[in-house]
Amino acid sequence: MSLQAVSQSVPPIDGIFRALADPTRRRVVERLNRSPASVSELAQPFDMALPSFVEHLKVLEGCGLVHSEKAGRVRTYRLSPEPLALAEIWLAEQRALWERRLDQFDAYVMALKEKEK
Amino acid sequence: MSYPFKPDPRLDLTLERFLDAPRELLWRAWTTPEHVKQWFTPKPWIITDCEIDLRPGGLFRTRMQSPDGKEVNDRHCCYLEIVPNERLVWTDALLPGYRPSGEPFITAVIALTQEGKGTRYTATAIHRDEATRNNHEEMGFFDGWGTVADQLADYVKTI
Repeated sequence: MSLQAVSQSVPPIDGIFRALADPTRRRVVERLNRSPASVSELAQPFDMALPSFVEHLKVLEGCGLVHSEKAGRVRTYRLSPEPLALAEIWLAEQRALWERRLDQFDAYVMALKEKEK
Repeated sequence: MSYPFKPDPRLDLTLERFLDAPRELLWRAWTTPEHVKQWFTPKPWIITDCEIDLRPGGLFRTRMQSPDGKEVNDRHCCYLEIVPNERLVWTDALLPGYRPSGEPFITAVIALTQEGKGTRYTATAIHRDEATRNNHEEMGFFDGWGTVADQLADYVKTI
């Protein structure tokens, strides 16, 4: 049945939400929204070791929100065009609602089952 | 078991899970107000009131409240299909007695299939096309996700 295909279409969204759950990464996205920037420009406002900062950039790139190009020794990051449609954000929220609901349902019926033994 | 609907991946969700409980128990947890109040709304929101008139055309009402009590979401839904221990279908597109509602948003299909001593549980949420704009109330449940999504939404608008 095609239901399986529906479930499998969601993980990219999960990755984007995970990426944006971190304040540093959100600030990078906000910064890139103004213009493309090099790694050092992006890292400058943060009090963070460069390797750690680069990890954040990798997460953002891994989920498709940003992409980078290297020219000589400088790697420049920019936002990916149309990274995410609003409808997809909305759907991810609906999924979160139903997943939490199901988690609570699961826990509740287990307790109920125990009680009625 | 086949359903007379086709999920649209852009709009609809399907969650499936094996639950280690008999489906009669799951059915009761879905169709008894005292039980529904305990789990239906993602915490920290709570349900202060739940009414169930378990028959096609009957009322399924949940009154949800934010932790500070300032926001309330009182939803009156209508049961469409009731097959005890097997399938429960309700919608907010209709009010009790099948009267069309002003804010159609979702039809939910809960399917239970026995699997050994447990149950294969499948929940499908079928959403309206203009769902994006009709959903503000439910976004409020997710402080974390909501904040992220708001920021992302603002950001997408600026592209």
